[in-house]
Amino acid sequence: MFALMNEYSRRSHFIPRTRDGWIASGTFVLLFLLAMPPVTHVFLNRTEPTVAGIPFLFVALLVVYVALIGVLLWTLSRKV
Amino acid sequence: MEAWVVATGLIVTYLLATIVLGIIANRRMRVDLEDFLLCGRRVGFVVLYLTVVASFHSAFAFLGSGGFFYTHGVGFWAAGTWTLLVGAITYVLGTRIWALGKAFGYITPADMLADFYESEAVRVCVAIVSVVFTILYIQVQAQGLGYIINVASDGRITVELGTLVLLVVAAAYLVVGGLRAVYWTDVLQGVWMYVAVWIGALVLSYELFGGPLDLWRRVSAERPDLLTLPGPEGFFTPGMWIGMTLTLSFGIVFQPHMMIRYYTAVDARTVKLLGATTPIYLMTLYIPAALVGLGGALVMPGLDVPDRIFPELLFAYASPWLTGAILAGATAAAMSTLDSILHANMTVLTRDIYQRYVAPDRAQAHYVAVGRIIIAGLLVVGYLLSVGTYDFLVVLVTLSGAGALQLMPAILGVCMPGRRSLSGAGVLTGILVGLLALYVTLVLIPHPLGMHGGVWSLFVNAVVAVGVSAVTRSPSDETVERIHGELERFIYGSAE
Repeated sequence: MFALMNEYSRRSHFIPRTRDGWIASGTFVLLFLLAMPPVTHVFLNRTEPTVAGIPFLFVALLVVYVALIGVLLWTLSRKV
Repeated sequence: MEAWVVATGLIVTYLLATIVLGIIANRRMRVDLEDFLLCGRRVGFVVLYLTVVASFHSAFAFLGSGGFFYTHGVGFWAAGTWTLLVGAITYVLGTRIWALGKAFGYITPADMLADFYESEAVRVCVAIVSVVFTILYIQVQAQGLGYIINVASDGRITVELGTLVLLVVAAAYLVVGGLRAVYWTDVLQGVWMYVAVWIGALVLSYELFGGPLDLWRRVSAERPDLLTLPGPEGFFTPGMWIGMTLTLSFGIVFQPHMMIRYYTAVDARTVKLLGATTPIYLMTLYIPAALVGLGGALVMPGLDVPDRIFPELLFAYASPWLTGAILAGATAAAMSTLDSILHANMTVLTRDIYQRYVAPDRAQAHYVAVGRIIIAGLLVVGYLLSVGTYDFLVVLVTLSGAGALQLMPAILGVCMPGRRSLSGAGVLTGILVGLLALYVTLVLIPHPLGMHGGVWSLFVNAVVAVGVSAVTRSPSDETVERIHGELERFIYGSAE
């Protein structure tokens, strides 16, 4: 009995076990990678096109950050 | 009325308000160590939210971030990545730390790690790392406070006197009201600093450029080098971007003053809500900082100390009342971090050292009294560190940002069950070798191959921790089952 409990309790917590868990962690990681090199330094690293005068890099990162907050709020709403 | 009178008067008013809050907090306090150190684990969302964000954002966020935008340009918008990561870490790890604290009565990070790894050496090592690498922040914040009040008074109050007055005020309300006083003053500080930064930045951008959008257009036309990576001085390389993201998220969350906050939440839902929403405050505070820094680069180029750009702009272009209110906000930013660090260091020294090794089994009132004495001692140490010039401090301050990052493998080993557990010897060796690697990659050979030293040290730490754990004794099955079983039940509803 104890050995069985021990085996179950050592199931990895790094791997999501529910569909919502997979969606939340997968989406967060993918979006987060958009705000990390090399994407930032290769694809986002320009000033044009501007959005209302604000340079592209700043706006693109802001959009990614807002999307990441959206993922966290969705995760909370799904009780993951 | 002269600007310095208004500015100093508003700061004094603000300081009096914090003392009043400390006295009110004292009336609610019970003579109980858990109440003095953890607010009785009954803190609701609003108070917890504001104390976490106010503690996370220090004088650096208020003054230093504007200086970073001023010098290195839009690359500092990388700040969004670490603030988002703080939210995710809080959501995933903060809830687990809360659950284990509630189940097993943990008060400090060392309580949790020593219990899981069954090692007093781990307890002492974590306590020392916790204190050494955060006490330096007392020095940084106290110096920032002295500088702010010196600027506000137009040089009439010396930096040393300003540092002393503000340290004494922070220590006073902490002694009187414990963590509850820290939390209540943080509520005031969190609101004040956020409103102050936004209003200050918007007023300056309208005053100087006709509005934020016109400010951006002017920067695009006159200083386009500030709007791309890696910035005018080549600072924001990919390696620095990744390194700062890791160091300023995990490295700050694992500092004791942040981890202790998770223990204090009233329930797990509060911690999850905290994780999902803290990035809103933390990230958006850097938007006005960008306006200040980039706008300042146009109208006041060539400042010797770029961190002074915000107060310099205010004194030059804003009304005395607004300048005073905003400098009081800067004071709030520094004090909210300072009081939290004073409290955390006091908690670690009282709980992990004094109660554990010097005088166990004493009455609760005894430990509360000792905690108050320790605060007085920390006040003296903090002041001496702030006004003196010590060469070793330069090295330690360089290391301090990534110091707590070395706890990451150990904390993940407790909070994220895997197939195999790290051992006490493994995490202990990992921390020590990681700190050595940090010294090498930040001081001796700064940022090898363009990668931040924090990343190198964490990599070395993790490899050593896993390697040593493979050949040393893991925590007992009973302990692993007790702690990881608790997490299994908490996260998935049962230990199956």
